[in-house]
Amino acid sequence: MTSTVATPNAAASTAPGEWWRMLARGFGQLLITAGVVILLFVAYELWFTGYYTQQQQSTLNNQIEQQWKASSAPDVSQVAPDKVKLGSGVAVLYIPRFGKHYHFVIVEGVGFTDLQKGPGHYPGTALPGQIGNFYVAGHRTTYLHPFNKIAELRQGDKIVLETKSMWFTYTIEDIPHSNIPWKEIVSPNDVAAAVYAVPDQSDPSKQPTQRLLTFSSCHPEYSARERYIIHALMTNALPKSSGRYPTALSAPVGH
Amino acid sequence: MYVWIWRRLPGGLPGKLAGSLVLLAGVLALLFFLVFPWAETALPFNDVTVDKPASTSSPSPSSTTP
Repeated sequence: MTSTVATPNAAASTAPGEWWRMLARGFGQLLITAGVVILLFVAYELWFTGYYTQQQQSTLNNQIEQQWKASSAPDVSQVAPDKVKLGSGVAVLYIPRFGKHYHFVIVEGVGFTDLQKGPGHYPGTALPGQIGNFYVAGHRTTYLHPFNKIAELRQGDKIVLETKSMWFTYTIEDIPHSNIPWKEIVSPNDVAAAVYAVPDQSDPSKQPTQRLLTFSSCHPEYSARERYIIHALMTNALPKSSGRYPTALSAPVGH
Repeated sequence: MYVWIWRRLPGGLPGKLAGSLVLLAGVLALLFFLVFPWAETALPFNDVTVDKPASTSSPSPSSTTP
C-alpha cells in the first residue's frame, strides 16, 4: 500500500495554494488506509482467529486424554454439573453430518474467552448423559467456526459425545411432551438461558425429566441478530468398555 | 503521509524498502495482536448464546434449578 505514493515529488513546494492539495491528499490516504484496515479486520475474524482455536483445541485434546487416563477421576456423566472447572474440556463432540473428521472438545463456559477455545457448555446445565439439558453454544463464522454448518443439520441426525468411559448418542428430534420443535430461530432477547436448562418443562423451576442436548449459534450467518437453535434427545449410551463404537460413527474415529 | 515517511527512511532505495517492510510488519503485528482482539470484544457479531452472559466467568442459568 506504500508503493503507489512512493514518487519522490516536489519536496519544497509549499506555496499557499498547494496547502489544500496536501491536506486533501493526506485525507484521501487516511481513508484508503482505514479501508485497508477494515478489510484486514475481516480477514482476521474469518481466518486468523481459527489458528488460535486450533492451538487451543489440540491443547484441550491432550488435556482431556490425560484426564481420562488418570484412573481416579469419575466419568463426567457422574459429576455434579457445577463441579466442572471453567475453561476445561467436558467431552469430545462428533457430528457425522459434518464429516468423518469433525470433532471438537467442548469447553466448560460460554464467556468470550471460553468460546475462543471451542464450543462451550453452559455452566450449570446438565452434563453428557445426565437428565436435563446439555446446552452448548458455538461460533458460526469465527474461531474455527464449530457450528458453521448448523443449518445443514436435519431431524434424525445423530450427535455423539465421547466422555471418559462412555459414548452418548443424541438424535435431533422435537422435544417430547413439549411444543419445542427440533429447530428454532429465536431472538436472543426472547429466550432466557434458564429456559434451555429445562426445556422439557414449561415452568423452568420444575425438575427436568429427559436427557436433552441443545446447540445454539449465530443467525443469520455473519450476523448476530438471531440465534439458531437445535434440540436433540439422548437415544443411546454405550460404555467404551464394550469395545464397540456407536453406530452413528461409521468408522472408528481417531483424535 | 506515506510520502513523508518514505522521505525520512534512510539508506537509499534498498534501505527505504527494508525500512518500509519493517514498519509494515510492525503495524500489522500491532493490529492483529492488540487492536483487533480488543475491537472484536466491543462488537456484537460473536455472540452465540441466548442469554448474554454477564462476564467471562460463570453465568448461571441454573439459578432456578437446584
